[in-house]
Parts: sequence; structure tokens; C-alpha cells
Amino acid sequence: MDTSFLTALERIVSADGIVRDDGELLTYETDGLVKLRSKPGVAVLPTSTAQVQGVVRLCHESGVPFVARGQGTGLSGGAMPHPDGVLIVMTRMNRILEIDLPNRRITVEPGVMNLDVSKAVAKDGYYYAPDPSSQVICSIGGNLAENSGGAHCLKYGFTVHHVLGAEAILPDGELVHFGGAALDAPGLDLLGVLVGSEGTLAVVTKITLNLLRKPAAVQTLLAAFDSTEAAGNAVSGIISAGIIPAAVEMMDRLTVEAAEEAVHPNFPKADAILIVELDGAEADVTALFARVEQVCTEAEAREIQVAQTDEQRARFWQGRKAAFAAMGRVSPNYYVQDGVIPRTKLPEVLGRIQALSERSGLKIGNVFHAGDGNLHPLVCYDDRVDGQADLAQDVASEILTYCLDAGGSITGEHGVGADKAEHMPKMFSESDLDTMQLVRCAFDPNYLCNPGKVFPTPRLCGEVPGPYRRHPAEAAGLAERL
Amino acid sequence: MAVVSTDALVAQVRARSGDDTARAATDNDAVDGVRPRLVAEPASGDAFAATLAWASSEQLKVMVVGGRTKLAWGTPSGPIDLLLSTARLSVVVAHRHGDLTTTIEAGATLASVNATLAAHRQWLPWDPPWADRATIGGIVATNDSGPRRQGFGAPRDSIIGVTMVRIDGEVAKAGGIVVKNVAGYDVSRLLTGSFGCLAVVVTATFKLAPVAPASRTVEVVLGSLESSADVVADLSASALTPTALELASTSAVTQLLVRFESVEQAAAQQAAEARDMVGSRGTSRILAGGEETVAWEQHAGHWSPSAGGTLGTLLKVSCVPAELIPTLVWLRTLAVSNGLEMSAAGRAGLGVVDLRLDGSLDAQARLITELRERLSIGRGSAVIRGGDAALRQRVDPWGPIGDSLPVMRAVKRRFDPGGLLNAGRGPGGL
Repeated sequence: MDTSFLTALERIVSADGIVRDDGELLTYETDGLVKLRSKPGVAVLPTSTAQVQGVVRLCHESGVPFVARGQGTGLSGGAMPHPDGVLIVMTRMNRILEIDLPNRRITVEPGVMNLDVSKAVAKDGYYYAPDPSSQVICSIGGNLAENSGGAHCLKYGFTVHHVLGAEAILPDGELVHFGGAALDAPGLDLLGVLVGSEGTLAVVTKITLNLLRKPAAVQTLLAAFDSTEAAGNAVSGIISAGIIPAAVEMMDRLTVEAAEEAVHPNFPKADAILIVELDGAEADVTALFARVEQVCTEAEAREIQVAQTDEQRARFWQGRKAAFAAMGRVSPNYYVQDGVIPRTKLPEVLGRIQALSERSGLKIGNVFHAGDGNLHPLVCYDDRVDGQADLAQDVASEILTYCLDAGGSITGEHGVGADKAEHMPKMFSESDLDTMQLVRCAFDPNYLCNPGKVFPTPRLCGEVPGPYRRHPAEAAGLAERL
Repeated sequence: MAVVSTDALVAQVRARSGDDTARAATDNDAVDGVRPRLVAEPASGDAFAATLAWASSEQLKVMVVGGRTKLAWGTPSGPIDLLLSTARLSVVVAHRHGDLTTTIEAGATLASVNATLAAHRQWLPWDPPWADRATIGGIVATNDSGPRRQGFGAPRDSIIGVTMVRIDGEVAKAGGIVVKNVAGYDVSRLLTGSFGCLAVVVTATFKLAPVAPASRTVEVVLGSLESSADVVADLSASALTPTALELASTSAVTQLLVRFESVEQAAAQQAAEARDMVGSRGTSRILAGGEETVAWEQHAGHWSPSAGGTLGTLLKVSCVPAELIPTLVWLRTLAVSNGLEMSAAGRAGLGVVDLRLDGSLDAQARLITELRERLSIGRGSAVIRGGDAALRQRVDPWGPIGDSLPVMRAVKRRFDPGGLLNAGRGPGGL
């Protein structure tokens, strides 16, 4: 990278806030999706909003692309660096700035870990609802970028339902505020579109979150079924009884076995396991939990275990949350897919996945957020076998077409990032994508903010402020002007 | 523009979408006293697209209307060429009851939609004012809500997908029909609350809620507005899960309505606990059945015209929840000293209420200005939702937007470069 640019960058973040060494930069070449790699031109670790603003402004003035990164736990390559750009690593901005319990608000810097938000207010009986499986190590800034969900989003919604305000640096270096501690800030709901924009619209530097009162009661059961279809019927029965559980999770035989080997949750051996959790006021949970047990019995559950203690509940969840990592016990490699279907299409889509598994010869484990139809098929393969990695990739892609055929989505929570950009035209028409680009062009007309993510072919924005300069991507024939 | 006669314009719309879809406007079509030139009611999304494509090629100023319940909100209209109505798009396209979702055309009224969804004991969990006339499109455009926002959120929390027509006539969709979906930008949410200034929503998809089998409401009559603060704070900090926590305060009386909806036993038990929590701080009773319905109908009277036939000014005041009551107490003194009648009703647990003001417009303007000076950006706002056009001309209906206004303007320019769609009516005067 240009030496004078690097010098200017170092002046902003100081010598200990810049990483230029090739070896050290390798640390950042990938996020949680390790198959996509790209070493950044340079990385910076700002400690303040002013530093982030300085970095972004310099990038804007110099026409250098930049990518913000939190803890790097994302699973779609959304934080994959740009080889000629600046990687802005937000991990040093990790302070909790304000806890306001009377208003049930907390304001944090983006590098604060998800779980640390809940920990900070736990003694007062509050918590932060979105709970992605990676909550111990993922940051709130990344959650905002990805609109992270978690096991409990069936009842409580996603990050977008819990972020009230954000301070952000626009791609031209301007500092702006969206939303706030009060609801209904007048104006367009730019916060609503910023959340889940995968870091392509701005770099967020401060976030105000809504806190929830811990529920008075929580009840969790684990039910074992002889087929995923029977388990699916139980889920349908619960929903049609008018019950919205806090969480409904399903695991199939392969993932149950893997979890058993890894963390020994002592799950029953069964073709499908459901974990159903209800929370809320004591009276509601007591009344509705009995109904859930009844529905599971009617759906021919072979065994029902009700968590009698917090430890037992934690064991259920440990088994579920370990499912991804546990696949390493039964397969040398695996590919985690993330797709969504209308919940009622579960039997049909699972049937197709099963047939695909048999046809391809690759084992496919299934873990779902069954309440909201979010599938996580785990495609098992062996990298040492020639061609199997590519086959696994193809199989995973084919599953997405099943999701779309069923009226679903190519991603429920992992994001599009760099990984699924090519699939976007299968879900959205050119006109749909152009409409999204109108938003991007309003925020980032020069296409410098996390370029190459979310959208399949880069489209340049018309009306670029200042004298027209041919964009390098345009010159290289890699992009066209919108 | 002036060279084309209105009759010719009407003929052009008819040629595109059928003989009965367009007519010259009458005085009844006036918005804020401004009479449009023609009115079109396309009967399909495609006809909407064709009409908008034509309107933008003719550079016509377009205003979109649904149930016309909120036309006195926001900045008064400038000249309007084409008033485009969603009245004929009123079908519930799909009710996927097993998935708890629905797809609805924009012109359907909320009441008719919920009557349809009730067949499977589900509902679109909103209760904004005027539900018998207010359309899905209008409620989405204004992100309007009612008491049950406490339990179920606002429209922006339920929306999961839209089909929209842009001003250039392009049909585009965002989101989808599944509740969990992070593919692409959340344009559905961006359109929610945009006052139709970016694109016209023709259908939208929402997640639904089951209809609870039982309901109880605790009615608490308090000695003063001041004394409601502690009660609201205690209820909010408790583990109770009310679906509504409403304040209603006039110069004569202040009361809270706290609603619980669940199975019979649980609704009753939570209501009893809430009543215990209020204790001797107010006079409380638990309402059920017909009595409960009446109490909520009376509460909705805050949003109905008074005997004189006018609604007066509706001012939406939002602040962080704990500052709501102190702000209202301060406002009451200010209203009295300005000779204004003031009543307040709304979401005590969320910090969002509607004030109704009656009295001289000068005094109202002074009160609104002083209130805005008290509320810092991000911690509160005061938006004129309805009222005399003269007031909305004198005082900016929106108040300060903050430093993100330039981005909002940039978004508006990208979607509607010619400034033709609901021009000036968008938030912040977009």
C-alpha cells in the first residue's frame, strides 16, 4: 500500500494501533468462514470514535476500501478483508458506556461481547435477549451488522428488535446518529436498514440496546421422537395451540450422536430430539407448559424429560449449542449451511435433503431452530478425498434451492457476506437488487465500505459527488454503472 | 404540465388500467384544502406500476392514499396532480396459519384483515386508532400503533416482506414470507414509517400472533398524574408481562389500564398480582368481559373527534420511559399557563403518548417549541400527527431530525430523484 497513506493512517491510530507486518496480518485473513481468505492491505485497531472517523475519512479521501471487523466469528465471510484495503478491527472499542436501568437501556461500544451485556445487568435481574450460539465470543457490533438471532428469537425477535440507537461513521467520514434511547425518533428508519446491512453502509461506533427483565419462570423439556416428521408434528401442534415458546430446537440422529460424543449431554438415542423452552410470568408458564407436554405426548414422543434444575436445563442447551462443533467428532470436515423455510414445509424439505444425502453419498446432519424454520444442515465430508470438498459445497448450495423452492430464504442468520452473494439472484430479481442498491448508493456512493459483499455483481452508483473518476473495478470490466 | 388537460390525463390512466379506474378530482378529494387534478384507483399491482411509470414520465406529483385517516399528519401538501388510491387492493392474499404469517394487499383495512385471520384464532397484533378504516398500507407508512404495542411491538417489528412499486414503475420486493431472513437489505423496514415518500407498498407480509383465549384489564385511578410515575416504574420493572400499559390523563382524572392476555388462569393471576403491586396508591379494579371492552372503547375516545366534531391537535410525545411522567407534569403546567386544554393518552411503559391540545394555535406553537427545547435529540421528540394545517405550516410537524437528515435526503433522492412521490410529506419534510 502507498507509504504516505500508511503514514497518515499511523498518525491517526498511533504505532500500536496499526498492523503492517505480513505475518501478523495473516491473523485477519478470514472470519468464521475459513474457506474464504484474503489478507488485508493493512489493519488498524482504533480505540475511539474519533480514530474510526479519522481512518474512514482518510480512506474516503484516498479512495481506499475498508472493512470493519468485530471478533471475526461471522460465518459468511462478511468480515473478509479487502486485499488492497484497510481492515478496521473494532475489538479495542469494548467499553460499556452507560447502564440505565430505570429506562432499561445499555449503551456499549461495538467490541463488547454479546454475553458481557447480559452479565453486566444480570445481578439487577435484566438481560439482553438475542443469544447467538457464539455469544461468548461474538461482539455486539458484529451482531448489529448481521442482525444476529439465536435460539430464543422465535419469541423475542432479532438484533433489529433490540437495537434502539447507533452512532456511526458514514463512508465519507461523517459522524451520524440513528435512533436513540427514546423510541420513534422522527425520520426514516435508517437504523432498521443499517442493522443487517453486513457492514456495507457505515462503521458503527456506539450502540444503545434495549434490556429485558429476566422472566419470572422458565421451563424446558426435551422430547425424543422416532422421526423428524413426528417431531415436526409436535412443533405444529404447539404453534396451533396458540403457544409461542421462547425456543423450539430440533436435532436429528446424526447431530444427537455427535453432541453425545462431544459433551455427553446424555440425550436419549432417537431419530429426532426437540428442546422446547417456555418463559414468562409464572402463571403463564405453568399453564402452557402442561399443554406442551400434552402435545408432545399426542405426537408420540417416545420420552419426555423435563428439566428440574437450572443445571439440567444448561445440559440440554449445552448439547444443542455444541452440535456444530461436535460434528468434528463424526466427520473430518463439515460445511454449515444456513437456510430458512416456512416451518410447515419441514417434512417436505427434510425428505429432499435426505434424498440428496443418499444420492451424493455425503452424510448430512440437521439442526434447526424449528419454531421459525431456520435450518442448519451440516454437510459432512473428508477434505483428504479428492473432490469431496467441492461436492460438499455443491450439496450445500443445492439445499438452498430447496429452501427457495419452499418459499424460504438463503440465510436466516449467518448473512450473505462474500459466501452467498452469488445466490442472491436466485432469491431476488434484478429489480429487487437494484432497489437495495439505491440504499447503498445513498450511504456509500463511492463503493468503499465493505465492497464485494452481499451483492453479486458490483453496481456503481450514478451521480458520484465530485469530478467523475472511472472506478478501478469499472476500468477492469468488473462492474457496471447503475 | 399545464398544457395537458385533466380530462386528457384521466383518459391516459383509463387507457392503462381500465375505464373505471380514474376520474377528475372533486372537492371531496382535497388534502389539506389542496384539490388534486385526478384520482386513480388501480385494481392490481401491475396497474399500479403502469400508472406510476406513466405519472413519472409525465412528471406528475403523486400522492398515495389508503383509508384517508391520517392525511392531516405531517407537512401540509403542496400541489398534487394525481391522487393514487389503494382502495381496490384489499385482499388477504395468503394466511399461512401454520407458519403464523400473512400476505395482504395494502388497501385492506386492519379490521377486515383481522376478521379474516380470526378464522384460525390469529391476528395482526396491532390496535392503532380507526382500525375499521385505516389500511395496512397507511398503518405501515406511518408505523402507527396502539396500546398493544407494549406486548407485540409496532408494525416495523412485525413486517417481514413487501412488494413495492417505485416511482419509475419498477416492481420490487424485499424480505420474504419467512419470519427469519437476513438476505439483503431490510427495505421493508425502511419503508415502514416513511410516509410513502420512497415507494408505494402494494402488498406486505407480516408475522402474526395467536389470539389469546382470555383477557383481564386492571383499571387504576390515581390521585394525580405525578403519582402515576412510581406505579408505572414498578409495573415496568416487574416480571409481569402486560400486553398494554396505558396512561390516560386529563385535567380531571389520571388512570392506568394494564392488560394481560393469556389463558384464563394466567391472565387472571397476573391481573391480581398487578393489582397487589398497585396497592393503596390508587383505586383499582379488575375488568373482564363487557366491562373490559367498554373501558378500552372509552380509552380509544382520546383519538376520536369530540362533540364539536374536531380532533384538535394530536402531538406525539416520545421520551425515555422514566422521563415520561415528569415531562407530562411539566407540560401540564405549561399548557395551563398558555390557556390550553391538554389531555394525554398512550404507552406509559414505552414512553410514547399522544397529547391532545385545544386552544389558540399561537399558544400551541409556543408549547411545542418549548417542549422540543426540553427534549434532546435521541432522548425524545414531539411530532405533530394531526391538526390544523395552519399549525403545521407555522411549526415544523417533525421537529429536529438530527445529523442523519442528510442521509435520509440522499435515500429519498435515490428512490425518487424527481421528488414526485408524496413530496414533502415524508418524515423531516422529505
